Amino acid sequence: MNNIEEKLWNYIDGLCTPEEQKALGDLINRDAAVGAKYRELLSLNNEFAAMDLDEPPMAFTYNVMEVIRTENAQVPLKAAINKRIIRGISIFFMVTLLALIILVLASIKWSGIALPVSLTAHLKMPEINSGKTKMIVQAFLFFDVMLGLYLFDAYLRRKKGAKDPKAI
Amino acid sequence: MQSKLSDAELIGQTLTGNQAAYAELVKRHQRFVFTLALRYAKVREDAEEIAQDTFIKAYRSLAAFKGQAKFSTWLYSIVYTTAMTFLRKKRVDTDSIDDENNFVQIENQASAYDVNSAENRSRSFYLDQAIAQLLPDDAAIITLFYKGEQSLEEIAQAMDMEANTVKVKLFRARQRLKEKLERNLKHEAKELI
Repeated sequence: MNNIEEKLWNYIDGLCTPEEQKALGDLINRDAAVGAKYRELLSLNNEFAAMDLDEPPMAFTYNVMEVIRTENAQVPLKAAINKRIIRGISIFFMVTLLALIILVLASIKWSGIALPVSLTAHLKMPEINSGKTKMIVQAFLFFDVMLGLYLFDAYLRRKKGAKDPKAI
Repeated sequence: MQSKLSDAELIGQTLTGNQAAYAELVKRHQRFVFTLALRYAKVREDAEEIAQDTFIKAYRSLAAFKGQAKFSTWLYSIVYTTAMTFLRKKRVDTDSIDDENNFVQIENQASAYDVNSAENRSRSFYLDQAIAQLLPDDAAIITLFYKGEQSLEEIAQAMDMEANTVKVKLFRARQRLKEKLERNLKHEAKELI
């Protein structure tokens, strides 16, 4: 395909070396047939360059953005809930710890320390030794242990699944 | 105001969560992406689907765009892969894309566009008609070269080919387009006589 037409296209596209460019320029001026071919290809080139682009439907951008908005709204629910749960648990533990610290500090007898105000509060810890409370505490601990085992099992399953996807 | 921003700036804004910036990018490139999709699909509805998929895929992978190539080149490579997947799904054997005989049907469809009177048809109409009769790869290369402001290297990158292959394909595509244009015009001249 290394013919004059290919060379002329390269000349039009500016893909020739300076030497080739000069040689072809001379040939176009000297040879009438080559000159005619060059003008024909140049005219075609201009025509190709002037071709129109097709117009998509008017609502095209809207449709694309609508799909994107819908996809964004459907962020995996698991991930969306997890963040809230984690935040909720964090806040719960922080409040509990703060309450515990305040309770402990308030329960300390500050009599040995000279303070302008008395920090001693008459707060009473729940009675754990009473039958009813003991049962509640035991049930709570049992539930915790079961929950722990369940989570540990889920963790091991996930780990096994990651190693061998067919196993699950 | 946003229309003055460069593609890179709009991408940056999109990545920070500004969806309006991405809408601006879509508006900017939609005509070309749609035209390119139409070169492969030949049917407007299919082209719309390919173009829409392209922009959605691009949005999802925008964070992976490193800016080493032009955004348009990256986008056109997505058009190419999306169109290929689409055509495969439509059970069009992409291996036979180079077999021009298989496009007789498309050619016949294109000649069925003859709904306007010959007098009213402009030269650009015949050019569009001739492009529609080309093989998808040929039509895409010509469109990328003339309207996509892409160099041969960039076209090669978008179409996952060697630059030299693109050069040869471009030469052949132009020859075929010229032949088809001449044939259509000759046919039209006969019709007028």
